[in-house]
Amino acid sequence: MAVASRSQPASRLVLRRKTVERGLSYLALAFFMFIALFPIFWMLMTSIKNDYDLVDPNLTPFWFQRPLTLGHYEYLFTATKFGTWLGNTFLISACVVAITLAVCIPGSYALARLRFFGAENLGIGIFLTYIVPPTILFLPLARVVATAGLYNSKWGLVLVYPTFTIPFCLWLLAGFFRTVPLEIEEAALVDGCNRLQAVLRVVLPLSMAGILTVAIFAFTLGMQEFVYALTFVSSSAEKPVTLGVVTDLIRGDVYFWGSLMAGALLAGVPVAILYNFFLDYFVEGITGGALK
Amino acid sequence: MLALVGYPFCLALYFSISNASVQESVSTFTGLDNFLAVAGDSVFQRALLNSFIFTFGSGIVKAILGTSLAFLLLRPFRARKVIRGFLMLPWTLPIALSILAWKFGMFDPQFSVVNWTAAHLGLIHEPYPNWLGDPIYAMIAVMTVNIWRGFPFSAIIVLAGLTSIPSDIIDAARVDGANWWDRWHSVMVPMIAPILFVGLLFDVVFTFTDLSVVYLLTNGGPINATDILPTLAFRTGVVGGSLGRGSAIALFMLPLLVVAVIVMLRTLRRRDI
Repeated sequence: MAVASRSQPASRLVLRRKTVERGLSYLALAFFMFIALFPIFWMLMTSIKNDYDLVDPNLTPFWFQRPLTLGHYEYLFTATKFGTWLGNTFLISACVVAITLAVCIPGSYALARLRFFGAENLGIGIFLTYIVPPTILFLPLARVVATAGLYNSKWGLVLVYPTFTIPFCLWLLAGFFRTVPLEIEEAALVDGCNRLQAVLRVVLPLSMAGILTVAIFAFTLGMQEFVYALTFVSSSAEKPVTLGVVTDLIRGDVYFWGSLMAGALLAGVPVAILYNFFLDYFVEGITGGALK
Repeated sequence: MLALVGYPFCLALYFSISNASVQESVSTFTGLDNFLAVAGDSVFQRALLNSFIFTFGSGIVKAILGTSLAFLLLRPFRARKVIRGFLMLPWTLPIALSILAWKFGMFDPQFSVVNWTAAHLGLIHEPYPNWLGDPIYAMIAVMTVNIWRGFPFSAIIVLAGLTSIPSDIIDAARVDGANWWDRWHSVMVPMIAPILFVGLLFDVVFTFTDLSVVYLLTNGGPINATDILPTLAFRTGVVGGSLGRGSAIALFMLPLLVVAVIVMLRTLRRRDI
C-alpha cells in the first residue's frame, strides 16, 4: 500500500488533500448552521404544531406527528393585541426614522464638509456616545419621559429612541457624504446654486444609498429595542411588539407556546431580513474608523 | 446630542448622589451614601462578579467561534451570500424574541430539547439538569444564549478584517514556509489588529451592559445567581422605585466603559498617521 501511494503522482495527492479540506470545511459550516438555526427551527415547528404534539413529552421535539396547523397564528390575531403591537412598532419606528433623518442629514453634512476647529474630534465624540448604554440612561430618562408627560405612552419611546439611533447614523451618514466628490459640489456652486441648492440638488441625490441605509438602520434599531420599552411602557395598548410578545403572551402554559413562537417569528423575521441587507454597511460603520 | 445623552447622563450622576425615588420628586443630597451602601451589599458584589464572568467568559468563546467561522466564510463557495445570511440570523433577530426559543425550547424544565436529546442519546439520566433553576447551570444557560447571539457578529467583524488583507501577502508568507498558525499569528493578526480591537470592545461593551438576555431568561435568579449589574439596576431602580440606588449600581458599569472609550479613541486616532 505504502509503495502504491508513494508512486501516485503528486498532483493527485494535492487534489485529494484539497477535497478532504473542502469536505471538512463544509462539515464545519454545517455545524455552525445547525447551532445558529436550530432554535429558530424549533420556533417555527412549535408555531405550526398541533397542541397535542407539544405537550406529549415522549414525542420528538424535532418533528410533528399530527397534522400541522395555522391555528396559533389565527389565535394571535383574533384573541391578542398582536395587531396593535405591530402597528405601534411600525408607528414608533417610522417616527424615529423621520427624527433621525431630520437631525442626521444636516448634522452629517456639517461633519463631513465643514472644517472648523475640532470637527474631527466632535465626530469621534458623537460616535462614542453610541456606547453609552441604555442600562445607564434608563433611570434618568424615566424622569425625563415622566416630566414630558409621556410615561406609559408610545410617544415616550419616540422621544427616547433617537438617543441611540442618532449617534451611529450621524457617523455612518457622514462617511457617505465624504464619498461625494467636493468638485461636483463646487461645480454646482459655480453654476449659480447657493449652498443649500447644491446640497439639495447634487449631494443628496448622490447619497441616496447612504440615506436609505441609515433609514433602514434606524428603523430596525427601533424595532429591536427592548430595554426602554420595558421601562417606560406598561399598558398593553401602547406596547411595541417586542415587549408585548414577551410580557403579555408569556403564561408558562405549554398550550400557549404555539402562539408565542408565532408572534416572535412574525415580528422578528422581517427585522432580521431588513438588517441583513445593510449588514455590510453596519460592519463598515463599526470597523471603518479602524480600517483607514 | 448633548440634550439627548448628556443631560440624562448628568441626571444619572445626580440621582446616584441623592435619595431620589419614583414617589417623591424632591430629593436631598446624600453624598456617596448610595455608592457605599451598594458596594457593601453582597447581592451587588455577586452581580459585579457575575457581570465580569458573563462578559469575558462568553467573550472568549465568541472570539474563538467567530474567528473559525470567519475563515470558513472567507473562501468562495456556492450560495455563500445566502448561507451567510442564515448564519447571521441569531444576531439580526431581535434578542427579546429569539430568547423565547431558548427559554421554552432549550432550557424548559419539563420540555427541554437539550435534555430530551441528551437523554435519548443516553448521555444523561434522571434527574435531568434543571437549566434555569440551578445556579451553575443557569449561568451556563445565559452565557450560552449570549454566545449564540454574538458569535455571528464576531465572525463578520473578523471577516471584514480578513477580506481587507491583500491575498498576495498571505501567499508570500506561505511561500516563505509559514504554517497556518504563523500566518494567523504573525501576519494576519498584526494587520487587522485595529479591527479586532474595535470589534472586541464593542462586544465587551454590548455584553457588559446588556439587560435583555438575563432579564428574560432568569431575571437574575435563582436567588441572584445570575444577577448582573443591569438586571440589578433595573430591579432596584424601576421595580423597586429607588432611582438613587439604581443609578449608583448602573454607574458602576462606567469605569469599564471609560476604559473602552479611551482605548477606542487611541485606535481611531492612529488611523490618521
